[in-house]
Amino acid sequence: MRDLFRIYRALLQTAWARALEFRGQAGIWILSSIFPLVMMVVWLAIVDEAGPLIGWGRGDFISYYVGAALVHQLTFVWSVWQWDDDIRTGHLSVKLLKPLDPFHYLMTEQLGWKLFILVFLAPLVVVVAWLSPEISYSLTVEQFVAFALSVAAGFVLSMLMSSAFGVLGFWSTQVANLYSLWFGVGQFLSGWIAPLALFPAGIRQVAYMLPFRATMGFPMAILMGQLTRLEIGFGFAVTLGWCVVFLILYRILWRLGIRRYEAVGA
Amino acid sequence: MKTIRVDHLVKHYQVHHKQAGLQGSLRSFFRRQYETVKAVDGISFDIARGEIVGFLGPNGAGKTTALKCLSGLLYPTAGSVTVLGFTPHKRERNYLKAFTLVLGQRNQLLWDLPAMETFLVNQAIYGVPERQFRETLDELVALLNLEPLLTKQVRKLSLGERMKCELAASLLHRPQVLFLDEPTLGLDVTAQAVIREFILTYNQRYNASVLLTSHYMADVTALAARILVIDQGKLMYDGDLGVLVAQTAPYKLLRLTLEKPVDGADLSSLGEVESNEGLKVTLRVPRANTKEAAARALAQLPVADLTVEEPPVEEIIREVFSRGSDHA
Repeated sequence: MRDLFRIYRALLQTAWARALEFRGQAGIWILSSIFPLVMMVVWLAIVDEAGPLIGWGRGDFISYYVGAALVHQLTFVWSVWQWDDDIRTGHLSVKLLKPLDPFHYLMTEQLGWKLFILVFLAPLVVVVAWLSPEISYSLTVEQFVAFALSVAAGFVLSMLMSSAFGVLGFWSTQVANLYSLWFGVGQFLSGWIAPLALFPAGIRQVAYMLPFRATMGFPMAILMGQLTRLEIGFGFAVTLGWCVVFLILYRILWRLGIRRYEAVGA
Repeated sequence: MKTIRVDHLVKHYQVHHKQAGLQGSLRSFFRRQYETVKAVDGISFDIARGEIVGFLGPNGAGKTTALKCLSGLLYPTAGSVTVLGFTPHKRERNYLKAFTLVLGQRNQLLWDLPAMETFLVNQAIYGVPERQFRETLDELVALLNLEPLLTKQVRKLSLGERMKCELAASLLHRPQVLFLDEPTLGLDVTAQAVIREFILTYNQRYNASVLLTSHYMADVTALAARILVIDQGKLMYDGDLGVLVAQTAPYKLLRLTLEKPVDGADLSSLGEVESNEGLKVTLRVPRANTKEAAARALAQLPVADLTVEEPPVEEIIREVFSRGSDHA
């Protein structure tokens, strides 16, 4: 465990250094945070026209999507594309030669970017939330800790989900497309298109049991103070359950897939 | 005690064929045609501790595939491989810490950061204690003259500089077995010599076993007394380089520089004329007759200069391969 900690520290330092090296890319990445705000504009137009929706007014939608912009940046991972590229082009060979599961390289690379987001974007969101009269997150310390943990859990689940799909690259070259399909369904059920509270009860109940809510809807519901302790506990249990499912899937697919690896190119 | 044991190793691939163009793509979409490629087809050999062995073969002969099986990147189709008592494809942590594979066409260095960052990451991943890390790094920096390179971004390094850093990154954990796949590929003559000398020093200092592939025959002749020749996945020769030369080319080359042109018949009486450019003549002379032929040439011909040489190893190897394909 101490070894793994040392390895993570070293890999995180390089991931952080690389994130800083690509200032332009980092800037564009931060700018991409405005995508959830596009959905916010759509919902504000509806609310202005039709009045509050199931108790959700302007302030609620603004609070939700400003927070969602940050949560999305912290839980979204793009490792599946990297797995796909590594396996298809043979770049995985370099990682396979070392006494470390390649998962950890991708994990730390993502963590390096998340650190970058925390340092540069999170303070901006806090300032905007503080200055804007329409944004309100009334949080107790306990709720804030639960929110932070839920974001971390959402990130870990995304990482495991992305990797379980990624190692399918040992069998197919279409993994990234397959994941895009999964991700598309996921966006709808995560709370990105609309807060899950606005969904019909039946769909909402299904969404609560699926893994996608953990990456946005669950942390946002905690941030907006909408969940009881019991509901928070349930959300964590679902997230943890899916983490275990995808971890097992990843390990099994990895063990079977690695036998098929062809280490092409050089 | 043998460090590496390879017993009837076989590795076959399924390759999918597709014709060019739209029609070819459509046909391939509905009906794929596969072919089994026998990249390695039942090779066996042993390598002892501290031995340097050259692995020779034309492109596609199966050298790299064999190295990948030895380093655990590929699952063998059949046969067995043990290295330092480990089965490579099981990828045990202690095995991964005990060897290195340097691929001349692949890069483990972090592309956008200075090489030192990769060294530090490798220290953590291989769990190299700080003192040993500093000692090894100082040693590698001195041997490969890395000092000015450590703080430069890897992408700004020349090919030769990058290969030196690549080697250092691969050896910081002091592996006992080195698999080197074209380590001097694309390097100029000076850089090639530096890498060769370094490999030899490392081998002597740590008594490491080295299995090396290279297209540059100078690498092999400078480093390896023993060679493995592989073609179309089969082992064609395993043994001493000198013996192979003597067996395959039972002649030496007599190179003459003449003061004036001479009659072709006079030359033919000394040996087989390989080339005749007027004043420069090369003759193939049976090994046993070399001294006598040289003496006769000096006595009978207007010779300005004379040398006796071994045929180039490239030619010998070509000869071995052409025999192999004749038999195939």
